[in-house]
Amino acid sequence: MDVVDEPAAADPADAALTATGVRRAFGTVQAVVSADLAIAPGQVTALIGPNGAGKTTLMLMLAGLLAPDAGTITVGGANMRRSPVKARTRVGWMPDTLGTWDSLTCLEVVTTFARAYGIKATDARARAFELLTRFQLAEFASRPARVLSRGQKQRLSLARAIVHDPAVLILDEPASGLDPRARAELRTVLRELAAEGKAILISSHVLAELDEMVDDAVFMFAGSTRGTEASEHLERARRRYSVIGLDAAALQKALAAQTRAWETTEAGAIVEVADAADAAALNAELVAAGVAVAALAPVGSALESTYLSLEGEQR
Amino acid sequence: MSTATQARTSRARATMGGVWLVAALELRLRVRSGKWIAALIAFGSLVGIFTLLLAFAVNGQMFGGDDYGVIFGTVVFFVLFMGLLVSPTLTATSINGDRKDGTLAPLQATTLSATTIVLGKLLAAWLASLAFLTVALPFIVIGAVVSHAPFWTAVVTVLVLAFELLVICAIGMGLSASLAGTAASAVLTYLAVATLAVLTLVFFGLGTALSIQPTTTRIYDVSYDYDWAEGEPSIEDCEWREETWEEPHTEYVWWLLAANPFVIVADAAPAEDDFDRNFYDDQTMLGSIKYAVREARLGPAEFQNWCYYNYGDTEALPEELQRAEELQELSAVWPWGIGFHTLLAAGSVLIAIRRVKVPYGKLISGTRVA
Ligand SMILES: Nc1ncnc2c1ncn2[C@@H]1O[C@H](COP(=O)(O)OP(=O)(O)OP(=O)(O)O)[C@@H](O)[C@H]1O
Ligand SMILES: [Mg+2]
Repeated sequence: MDVVDEPAAADPADAALTATGVRRAFGTVQAVVSADLAIAPGQVTALIGPNGAGKTTLMLMLAGLLAPDAGTITVGGANMRRSPVKARTRVGWMPDTLGTWDSLTCLEVVTTFARAYGIKATDARARAFELLTRFQLAEFASRPARVLSRGQKQRLSLARAIVHDPAVLILDEPASGLDPRARAELRTVLRELAAEGKAILISSHVLAELDEMVDDAVFMFAGSTRGTEASEHLERARRRYSVIGLDAAALQKALAAQTRAWETTEAGAIVEVADAADAAALNAELVAAGVAVAALAPVGSALESTYLSLEGEQR
Repeated sequence: MSTATQARTSRARATMGGVWLVAALELRLRVRSGKWIAALIAFGSLVGIFTLLLAFAVNGQMFGGDDYGVIFGTVVFFVLFMGLLVSPTLTATSINGDRKDGTLAPLQATTLSATTIVLGKLLAAWLASLAFLTVALPFIVIGAVVSHAPFWTAVVTVLVLAFELLVICAIGMGLSASLAGTAASAVLTYLAVATLAVLTLVFFGLGTALSIQPTTTRIYDVSYDYDWAEGEPSIEDCEWREETWEEPHTEYVWWLLAANPFVIVADAAPAEDDFDRNFYDDQTMLGSIKYAVREARLGPAEFQNWCYYNYGDTEALPEELQRAEELQELSAVWPWGIGFHTLLAAGSVLIAIRRVKVPYGKLISGTRVA
C-alpha cells in the first residue's frame, strides 16, 4: 500500500463524488441493486467485483450516461439529475471499450474532445499537445489513431478523458491488456493525477496490480456494494505482516513474548500490526531479541484476500 | 426536484459551434479517404455518360433540335435517383454504427447536447450528399441549356433536389438512432426511400384501380340524326347527351403522388408550358408531369368533348375553358409534398435526438452504452 496512514473510508461531506442507494435494471436484469460509494479528492479508489457484478453499469451512471432507477449521485455538489451538464463536466470517463476514430489523428481526437467540452480552439490544441506529450504520445500526434497499439490507445483514451481537467476520473478497466511495464506506467500516471487532487475510481480484475496503487477499495457483488464490512476486512488484511526468520522456532518464541496477535506459518509467522510504524517497531524488537529476520512484509495482496473472503461469503 | 428545473436542464440546446464541431468530426471520419474521391468521380462519370447518351438518343446529335425538355427532365430525374441511392449510406448507420464502434458514448459524455450531436451528424451527411449534387451540377446545367429550360427552372430544381437529399439523410438518421443493428437500419432506410420513390406510384395505381366507380358524364357529340353524307360536322351539329360508365376517381388518391420526390421536383420546377389546351408541342417533360398530377387531382371531367371536327376553326366549349381555369387555379402540389417531407425529416430528427439524449432512461434492447 502506498498510503496506509490516511483514513481509508472517505468522509461523504468532502467527497468529490458520492452515490447513495443507486439502482438500475435492464428489463428483468437487475444490474445494480444498491450501490453506495464516496470517493475522496487525491485518492485512488478501486471498484472490485466479479464479471457481471455491475461495475460498468455503475460507472456509466456515475459518468452521467445512464439514468439510475433510484438513488442520487452528486459530483462536487452538483446533482447528476438536476444539473446533468454541470455534473458531467466534472467527470472524466474512460470506457472499457476503446473507440476507434479511424481516420482521425491522435491530436485531432484529443483536440476535438477538448472543443466538445467548450475549450477554445487554440487552447484546445495546446492542451491536446500537452496531454499527448505527458502520455508519451507526442510522436504519434499526427498519425491516425487507428495504428496505435492497445497500450497506446489506452493512453490516448486516458488523455481524452482528462482533457477538460475534471475533478473526478472514472476509469473502466484501464489496465486490461497492458504489459507489466505499461501497467507500472499507468500506476505512476494515476498516482500523479491523484497527487494533483483528482478523485479517481478505477475498476480492474488484476487485484495484485491494484494493491500498489489504490488508497481505498469498494467491493461489488451481484449489484451491491459492500461498504463497512469490506473496509474492515481490507483494514485487517492490510495490517497482516508475514515475518520470516532464519530460525523459525526462535522467531516464534520471541513473538510469544510480545502482545500482538500472531499465528505460526511454516517459515515463521503472520503478525497483526497496528500500522506501518508498528511493523517497523516489531522488526526492531525482534532484532533486539536476537532473532535473525529474513523478511518482514505485508501478507500477499490485501485486496485479493478481502475479495476472496467476501466472495466466499457470497456463495 | 421540480419538473420545471428538469424541463429547463433537459431541454437540449444546440450551439452553432458544437454542430459544426460534430460535423467536422464526421466529415473527417467518413470523408477523409481516397474512396470518397473515387465515389464522387464515379458518380460524376455515371451522370455524365448518361447525359451524353441521352442527348444522342433523343436528337441523334448533341445540341440538335428541340427535345421538349426531355433531356433536362431526365437528367434531373437521374441525378435524383442516384442521390436517393447514395444518401442513405451517409446516415443510415451513423448513430448505431458509432454506438458499436464505441465512439458515440464518449461524445455524449461531453457537454455537447443530443441536439448538437444529431444536427452535426445530419449537417455532415447533407454536405456530403451535396458534394454528389455538385458533381452532377454541370450536367444539369448542360441539360438545362440543351433543353432551353428557363434559368429559374434550373435553380429551383437544384434547390428541391438538395432538399430531398436532406430529407433522406434525416430519415436515415432517425432509423439509425432507433435500431440496434446497422444492417437493419440500412435496409429500412432503403425501404423508406423505395416507398417514397416507387411505392407511392404503385399505390397510386392500385388506389386508382380501387377508385373506379360508375360515373355519369356529359358528352358533347355529333347528334345521332346527323347526316354524315353532308361531310364533316361542325360544332353546331353536336349536342349534349349523358352517359354512365366506370371511371377512376384519382381525386381521392392524388396525394400519394404528392409524397413522391420525383413528382415534387417536377411540380416545383417553374414551367412556361401552356396548359390551356392540349398543345403537347409546348410541353416539357417536367411540365407534363406537373399537368398530369393536376389532372389527377381534379379527377375525371364531368363532360367530354367528342366534337373535335374542325377543331381549329371553333372556339373551345365554355365547359372546357372552365376546366382549364380550374386546373390553373389549383394550388401547386409540391408544397404538400415538401410539407409532408419536412414533417418526416423533422420527426426523424426529433426521434434521433430523443434516442441520443443522455442519461439514457430505457435503452434500445440489445445495445450497451459502452
Ligand atoms: N444494456 C444492457 N442490457 C441488458 N443487460 C445489461 C446491459 N448492460 C449490462 N447488463 C447486465 O447487467 C449486469 C452487469 O453488467 P456490467 O457490464 O455492469 O458488469 P461488470 O461488472 O462491468 O462486468 P465485467 O467485469 O465483466 O466488465 C450483467 O448481468 C449484464 O448482463
Ligand atoms: Mg465491465
